[in-house]
Amino acid sequence: MLDAPRNAPVAEVNNLKVYFQAKRGRVHAVDGVSFEIRNGETLGLVGETGCGKSVTGRAFLRLLPVPPGILAGGNVTFRGADGESHDLLTLSDAKIRAIRGDRIAMIFQDPGKALNPTMTVGQQVSEVFLQHRSKELLERAGLASASGPIQRHARQSERIFDGLLLKLPGYRRHRQKLQSALNAMVCEALAATQVPNPAKLIDRYPHELSGGMRQRVMIAQALACNPDLLIADEPTTALDVTVEARILELISELQTARGTSVLYISHDLSLVRRICDRTAVMYAGRIVEIGPSGDIFRDPRHPYTRGLLAAIPTQAAPRGGLAAIKGSVPELIDPPEACRFAGRCPFATDACHAHDPELASVVGEHSVACFIHYPPPSGTRPSFDRETA
Amino acid sequence: MSLAADPAPATPLLRVRELTKHYPIREGIFQRVAGHVRAVDGVSFDIMRGETLGLVGESGCGKTTLGRCVAGLQSVTAGSVEFGDTGNIDTLDPVQYRAFRRNCQMVFQDSFASLNPRHLVIDLVGRPLRVYREASGDALTERVVELLEQVGMGRQHLYRYPHQFSGGQRQRISIARALALNPELIVLDEPTSALDVSVQAQILNLLSDLQRDRSLAYLFITHDLSVVRHMADRLVVMYLGRISEQGPTETVFDNPQHPYTRALMDAKPDIEADPDVPIRGLEGTVPDPARPPRGCRFHTRCPVVTPNCGWEIDDVARWLDDTGDVLAGLSGVERRSDFNGRFTFETDAEAARLEDALRSEATPPPMRAALDRLERQGASVDIVFREVGEVPLTQRGPRHEAACVLDPTLIQDRP
Repeated sequence: MLDAPRNAPVAEVNNLKVYFQAKRGRVHAVDGVSFEIRNGETLGLVGETGCGKSVTGRAFLRLLPVPPGILAGGNVTFRGADGESHDLLTLSDAKIRAIRGDRIAMIFQDPGKALNPTMTVGQQVSEVFLQHRSKELLERAGLASASGPIQRHARQSERIFDGLLLKLPGYRRHRQKLQSALNAMVCEALAATQVPNPAKLIDRYPHELSGGMRQRVMIAQALACNPDLLIADEPTTALDVTVEARILELISELQTARGTSVLYISHDLSLVRRICDRTAVMYAGRIVEIGPSGDIFRDPRHPYTRGLLAAIPTQAAPRGGLAAIKGSVPELIDPPEACRFAGRCPFATDACHAHDPELASVVGEHSVACFIHYPPPSGTRPSFDRETA
Repeated sequence: MSLAADPAPATPLLRVRELTKHYPIREGIFQRVAGHVRAVDGVSFDIMRGETLGLVGESGCGKTTLGRCVAGLQSVTAGSVEFGDTGNIDTLDPVQYRAFRRNCQMVFQDSFASLNPRHLVIDLVGRPLRVYREASGDALTERVVELLEQVGMGRQHLYRYPHQFSGGQRQRISIARALALNPELIVLDEPTSALDVSVQAQILNLLSDLQRDRSLAYLFITHDLSVVRHMADRLVVMYLGRISEQGPTETVFDNPQHPYTRALMDAKPDIEADPDVPIRGLEGTVPDPARPPRGCRFHTRCPVVTPNCGWEIDDVARWLDDTGDVLAGLSGVERRSDFNGRFTFETDAEAARLEDALRSEATPPPMRAALDRLERQGASVDIVFREVGEVPLTQRGPRHEAACVLDPTLIQDRP
């Protein structure tokens, strides 16, 4: 997968800054994040709770609550299959609606909350088609040249008397045709996620399904329009391990078959190592290390990445001797110009508290934001040889 | 370590024998009992002093219910929990019961829900001391400070509310509260699954240190195999309310004897494992615990299932429900037993379709092999499966047991 031709990236995030206004000041949830997602790759975004990984993911679909959120700077450029590029943060609402769910789709963490409990599975999946594929739907139903009310019904944009009109015998027949064409499309989408008996599933409500099945419905919904980019925000955290493995297999199968690029947001390092081509490690609103997964996990360069990997319980670590990272994540309210990890870093020097490191390449595509790998503007340089704390 | 074989085993701290917990399902306006959810169904194990017993399984396998039964937070339907040299905890007199409750504490998964948001830390951690009249006034404050220091917190945290702490700190408060009365056993119900890895490592280190200093015994309930491998001396793997495998942790990890244990391990490999080995999941979902499958409860999802695993009438519905509309036109099912039943259809053709499906490749070969009789008479189909009892735990090695028919002594005609 790494050998694939490196054509233009499907999306680029450039110095993205998302703040949240709190009573005590501005929380710098995402503070200058830059990365690109290449065509067809899976980019893993890992980090602990509150590091800004979900906010970054949601920025792609502009699902951030503004206010209290503040888009303080930067841009997210998306280049669809049609070659047109858009800045997702400044696009008009109508245009972002056209992209959302069609060109960029999202799978959320908790399928129990992300699916509407008052709608059947069929209704929810068909919304995607009605919003983005109404033309194709009308063609399949043989109603391409049907009259206004049916056209509008297929776009979910009925006018005030359309409801009455659609009850008239002639329209009713058209509507039934439309519905059966729609059901066929929904069944196809569900069948792609290997659910048993999709025709039966259509009339079920989300609460009647198991967690794994709900997540499959959400994947069907997300991949219904063959998006160019899929944002998967911890899609398997709520699931059991045996089901999680099946869902991961499914996502990667569908991804390979359709050439979708995936931004995989997760806190689970062992998972990201297995499924992602490249990995970005986030800490306190910044990317501290980014590179090919193989390099990051074989040779982690940032003290935080090293700490995270060492904290995973293994057979080899003596009981009670896990390498925990001291302290906790700093408050992100108006943070000072310094390395965010300096307070917890065993190698930190005065330079780390006075200057802000930037991502710089160490080997090839492997970049790290740490003074250990390049000299700070002034002060002593930290190194892995000396431990301060 | 408890792994060392000793000829005359010491009396265990906790003995659980054939523990069963069924929850009634009530229906209708009179709340008639319509069935039972068999959350825990005949589980036996021991916990020695100073030992960590890991309890793993998927959600809904009954591991939390089992933990609550052991801690006395839930009455049991049948079976017994014996603590120390007292008898069954359900029949203790009030004085002995108080002593048991002191000696067995619990730490819950969700520290938000298990710490009263309107109480200060000093009230939360000091409450057990007050209830058991251990301390009051200044002495109580000092005891609480001492406990907080043991879990890596301090005097400055005494007068704060739970919401002012991070998840890791709240879990430390829960642990301090559990330690207050110097218990011998702590039931840890997923103590780290809501925490980040770096904080999880801090809590696991803390738990290990406390165990060493105080020779505590832990019942460590989790779904995370890497955590349990790190923490536990012995392991119990549960599936649908029953133990499918138990043994010393390393033995179970090195040589898993139950296909379910193996599936769990394949689905969640270690960070150290080779990243190129693909992860493998399991098909299907956990069956309804109100009607657990007969024979081996795992047979509906087992990748190496045999005809002897307990195929039953319900499996016909389970399999064929997912494959098209074979069961369309079904008008009734008459169940003579779990293994013997008659499916009646509206027309002969529909019955013939079921018969054909059961004889075809659509049905898994072990299920076809387990069919003793398959006869169609007009619109009804008689199905009789081989009768199989519960699969018992059998010895697989020193102190290593698994409940699987795949064993040369138990299985005669493996296909």
